[in-house]
Amino acid sequence: MMPSATNATRMNLPWSRFLGRHLTLATGAGILGLFLMVALTAPLIAPYDPIFQNADVRLLPPALAHPFGTDNFGRDILSRVIWGARIDLQIAVIGVVFPFLIGTFVGTVAGFFGGIVDAIFMRLVDIILAFPFLVLMLSIIAILGPGLSSFYIAMALVGWVSYARLIRAQILVLKNSDYALAAVSLGFSRTRIMFRHLLPNAIAGSLVFSMSDAVLVLLNGAAISYLGLGVQPPVAEWGVMVAEGQSFITTAWWITLFPGLSIVVLAFGFSLLGDGLGEWLGVRE
Amino acid sequence: MSEPVLSIRSLTVQAQLDGETRTLIDAVSFDLGKGEILGLVGESGSGKSMICRALVKLLPSKTIAITGGSMLLSGRDLVQLNEAAMRSVRGADIGMVFQNPTSHLDPVMRIGDQIAEGIRYHQGKSRSEAKAAAIDILGQVGFPDPARQYDNYPHELSGGMRQRAMIAVALSCNPEILIADEPTTALDVTIQAQILKLLMDLRDSRGLSIILITHDLGIVAQTCDRIAVLRHGQLLELGDKRRVLSAPQHAYTISLLDSHPSMPEEGGPITAEAVIDAPPVRPLLEIDDLVVRFPTPGLGLFKGGRKHIAAVNGVSLRVMPGETVGIVGESGSGKSTLARAILGLTPLSSGHISFDGLDLAQQRKQTLAQIRTQAAMVFQDPYNALNPRLTIGETLAEVLQVQNKVPTSRIPERINELLDLVGLEREFATRRPRAMSGGQCQRAGIARALAVDPKMIIADECVAALDVTIQAQIIDLFRELKSIMNLTLLFIAHDLAIVRDLCERVVVMYRGEIVEEGLCADVFARPQHPYTAALIAAIPDIDPDKPLLRRLPGQAVPHLLTA
Repeated sequence: MMPSATNATRMNLPWSRFLGRHLTLATGAGILGLFLMVALTAPLIAPYDPIFQNADVRLLPPALAHPFGTDNFGRDILSRVIWGARIDLQIAVIGVVFPFLIGTFVGTVAGFFGGIVDAIFMRLVDIILAFPFLVLMLSIIAILGPGLSSFYIAMALVGWVSYARLIRAQILVLKNSDYALAAVSLGFSRTRIMFRHLLPNAIAGSLVFSMSDAVLVLLNGAAISYLGLGVQPPVAEWGVMVAEGQSFITTAWWITLFPGLSIVVLAFGFSLLGDGLGEWLGVRE
Repeated sequence: MSEPVLSIRSLTVQAQLDGETRTLIDAVSFDLGKGEILGLVGESGSGKSMICRALVKLLPSKTIAITGGSMLLSGRDLVQLNEAAMRSVRGADIGMVFQNPTSHLDPVMRIGDQIAEGIRYHQGKSRSEAKAAAIDILGQVGFPDPARQYDNYPHELSGGMRQRAMIAVALSCNPEILIADEPTTALDVTIQAQILKLLMDLRDSRGLSIILITHDLGIVAQTCDRIAVLRHGQLLELGDKRRVLSAPQHAYTISLLDSHPSMPEEGGPITAEAVIDAPPVRPLLEIDDLVVRFPTPGLGLFKGGRKHIAAVNGVSLRVMPGETVGIVGESGSGKSTLARAILGLTPLSSGHISFDGLDLAQQRKQTLAQIRTQAAMVFQDPYNALNPRLTIGETLAEVLQVQNKVPTSRIPERINELLDLVGLEREFATRRPRAMSGGQCQRAGIARALAVDPKMIIADECVAALDVTIQAQIIDLFRELKSIMNLTLLFIAHDLAIVRDLCERVVVMYRGEIVEEGLCADVFARPQHPYTAALIAAIPDIDPDKPLLRRLPGQAVPHLLTA
């Protein structure tokens, strides 16, 4: 008796009360929004050129002129962190969107049709899962040559499996629901049943998962760049910056700390958003 | 009445929601005597389950709390007890039986151990003593071979036996009070009668006091001593069963009684409208020796090693245009499979189905197209049958658009017509199923079926999940629609009284076969097959002077699942 009442009020809630009730969602969205703003306005707010080297100001600790300090080439860390937001947000988004789309499509089709289609796709999933994730990523990037686009392609080739499995499991349950049966009995086409009736009801779980996946992709991207296979220096990217700073970690901690912190906070924002989305979409109900 | 075992005084339960206080139970007072069966009657949302949860202080949410009143159980006020003290009350003093035994029994624990667990915990007995006691209780609740069945897991038992096991768990600590929350709603009528008889026997043999929560007045009339009628958390009427049933005081009780689809006297006046007035024309639906088989679960490792079960086994049936045919039978009798086969949703193993002259087995594609545009189905669970993400308007619009029977420009108008037809306000077009009640949802489901502009509607247990008063409304709606549009209706139900009420002809299914078929009036007055007779006898009558148990035959016809 309760859910109907709360659901009805949820729809026409004023914005402020909506946020009050979904604090996790609001905080997560806030953090991401902030990073997005920073990334978009990078040329305006960054105090220095991120790749300009100035030998006079090498390895300066944080001070008023350089709030986050400078690195061994005399580049301003704050500016590099701000510009890095562009790359890292791009990594998190593109690294998730393509696996998400591919996985959702494959999962829906495999779950809906079952039989031989399902068997082929699921064995493919098993094969991909049989390799350690990073090993597979690294070999694909090694074949394609280092760079961000190779990273995205590798992500798309490997990352879709989790989405496919999530969606497929949901579709398998939903395709036996009465409304799916009703749709068949009303003469709806299979495409319509799959994508208009089943998928919207199946997708909530993987939408939530995609947020925590964005965190993993972000860390993966950083790791790949750290290994020298992703973003190439001197481009400012947090993973690269952490890698560059590691040899100075005992003497100039600020080089690693600030980009590292940015990764953590952005990841935190994504997971909050994921949790909040889950609450809001009622995945845990 | 002797000294009451339990005495509830102005019990109030309130919920805090968004700063508002909602009163769920409004100052309810009643006593429960020793060895008494008290029936709590009301629709869903009336607070009958909430009272019982408050009794054991297991309220469903932290925002809900007992805010006033007292609950005296043998001198102690349960409202004042803390959680630790309550734990010794639950099970030991008050046992509970729930509607769905499947979800309330631990699936990975032997049923005997589930019973013995409570005995060891509450009575401090040793393992072997507890086992002996558990076997004894299993025998009392009607397990034929308790020592062996002690080791069964819940999934190995039928629904009825599971409910018996659930009762055994509740009884394990010898409680004074048993709360039974819709204990038979999920069961077939014949099994329901057995469980009710068991509860009454236990009352007699143990002096148990029982609070029986139900929406079925027939059950109350058959088993209870006193009746409490609840609505919106208020106790509207409380009194002796006979008094309440024969001379109800409150208007709501009267409407509840009126909506009960009771069976008329056997051989009593038969309404003559049942005669089909149409001249013998070509049947709309013709089923000839239909067989639908399903493979049994498990791997078919060897060729031909996989067994098949015939869910529908040699059914023949003819339905004329404009006719209303009821299909009755217990769960597992194959009636839903038959419905799905007719709509081409399940492959046929052998036999023929022809719809409006086209044969489904021979001209499959053509016939399916015909069926999809001229037949529609209404489902049992209205919430599950509508896409939760679409508004009712979107759902209807989609059907109209796909079926292409109405020009696009006229779709909004047609949606309004459909909503009018099923008695829903037009503003429901913008609502989603979850923001509607069960009855409203079912009306929307019927509107969707009507959007097809069908010649035939198949309603599969479409009122089984609804409250009695809503059931009556939906049945009335069907009757009205039938008269307006010359609709052919296949009405599948396990509730014989409803079928008797609505249908002209009835088909009785048992184990995938039709065992009896004929005009409703004839079949119900003079059942030919023993199974039909058993089904009819098992319906709890609203008249307490027609006892259920006397009419209950022995094990002449085994139930599908226990056999």
